[in-house]
Amino acid sequence: MAKIKSILGYMVAALSTLIMLATIPGLMFLAEPLISVTGLTISPKYSGGEVVRTIDHDAYQTQVHRMVFDDVLIGERKEGFIQVNWTPLDRLPARIDEEIDADGDGQADFRVEVDTANKETTLTPYASWVLGLEGTYEPEGSLMIRVRLRNPSQITR
Amino acid sequence: MLLILPIALLSAYTWLPGLLTGQGEPLQILALALAWLVFNALFVLMLTTGHTHRYRSVLFILIAVALPLDFIPWMIKTYGSMMLTDDIMFSGGASFCPLTMPMIIIPALLKRVVIFPGELLPTGAHGAFSVMFIIWVAASLALGRGWCSWGCFYGGWDELFSRLPKRPLIKDKQIDRRWIYLPFAVLLAIVLLSAIAFQPIYCEWLCPFKIVTEFQAPATILAIVQIAIFVTLFIGLVIVLPLLTKRRIQCGLFCPFGAMQSFLNKINIFEVRIDPDKCSQCKRCIRECPTFSMNESSLESGKPLMTCTRCAQCIDACPEGAISYHIKGTSLKASPAVARALFLYPAFLLMGIIGLGTVGMGLWRIFKLITTGSML
Repeated sequence: MAKIKSILGYMVAALSTLIMLATIPGLMFLAEPLISVTGLTISPKYSGGEVVRTIDHDAYQTQVHRMVFDDVLIGERKEGFIQVNWTPLDRLPARIDEEIDADGDGQADFRVEVDTANKETTLTPYASWVLGLEGTYEPEGSLMIRVRLRNPSQITR
Repeated sequence: MLLILPIALLSAYTWLPGLLTGQGEPLQILALALAWLVFNALFVLMLTTGHTHRYRSVLFILIAVALPLDFIPWMIKTYGSMMLTDDIMFSGGASFCPLTMPMIIIPALLKRVVIFPGELLPTGAHGAFSVMFIIWVAASLALGRGWCSWGCFYGGWDELFSRLPKRPLIKDKQIDRRWIYLPFAVLLAIVLLSAIAFQPIYCEWLCPFKIVTEFQAPATILAIVQIAIFVTLFIGLVIVLPLLTKRRIQCGLFCPFGAMQSFLNKINIFEVRIDPDKCSQCKRCIRECPTFSMNESSLESGKPLMTCTRCAQCIDACPEGAISYHIKGTSLKASPAVARALFLYPAFLLMGIIGLGTVGMGLWRIFKLITTGSML
């Protein structure tokens, strides 16, 4: 028994070198499968959540993300946000004036006006659960706003 | 020579793919080749002299110092400063770091989300989640908490300052040993708080190494408080206390990632053993251990505590040669030289994967500074 344990010990010890050796090709070949198999995504708190609607304008696009209330371990938050991106940045008009349907019911829930040169933003809520502007940002290649929302599903309850 | 040749080839293999893609400019290739030479020269010394810690430590410190030499200019070139603004974070521009690992586990398991403003797959930025995850899993399987003395690109700062004084001003007996439980408390707190807040609490509030990498822009009072905490922790835990105690205080008494790695020591095949027949009870290993992993009970049990980072400082320091690397399952009288060689191979490979490129790129930035007047 002691001999078997000893042989196994040496084998596992030698395997450690093989594991480290396999790391470099592992980085190249395992990274993508790791993400696709596990289904991991970056938290919507940072990514803004999935894009649910894209509105094509002549020179640019409006990307409306889903409403985010689930950036919490269990259940949903009472308050969250929605992210809207306009892209590409270099083809945006001097002024954006757009009505956004946040919950996808066909009705506009707020109107946003953005001066694209200085990012000055005016938000006009139409729905009672639209709380106000969280901020205007310029992440890579786009202009973006986040609007604070009260969770509509928790209002009706 | 037979032991050295394979490692020389294998460590070249850790950075050759980058060079073969043709991205490297001549100065960069020169810097990487120099780094490779330094790494292998020190490995040769490690093997031929039998001193593990002495040469490991030089490499470990080099990696820690080289990281900001490359990373900060990269941040400045890419984002304009080393400060993370909301714009950068919403672009997924923060660099993923292994220290984040304990905090992301619960949200990743329960909701399949990574609570970090970085990227999942590498697209040119430093440290994508998938890359760090694969390296961390491999290193944890191969070396357990050996990560903390062979792979961590921050620990070298702690080690640097702990090695500067000749004698500690705060003696071993003056340090309450119960502090060794603090990293486990920090680990528990950040895992739970991060799961509740759904954001990486340690990165946002407690990481001393933000000062040598990236930190949030001081745009709000909250961010200014956070930066003040980072500076205080870095000065206190990484500079002042290691200078006073000659110990790696951040690594041994604070780091939650190290605490998590301690549990992985339990499933790792390598360990450090003390031969009771040779031990003269001089207790030098207890005084020398930089992470407080040796105590009186270690001498009785013949093993360090689970927090051992396999740095080999005790092995090098023991005047009787009573301490050695050991492979679990093998006889206590088995050849320590074989166990040492089998440990050094994966340990050095991890160092190569993490550090060879880091040191090479740090060196390249210095070359750039000398030749062009700019590190960017």
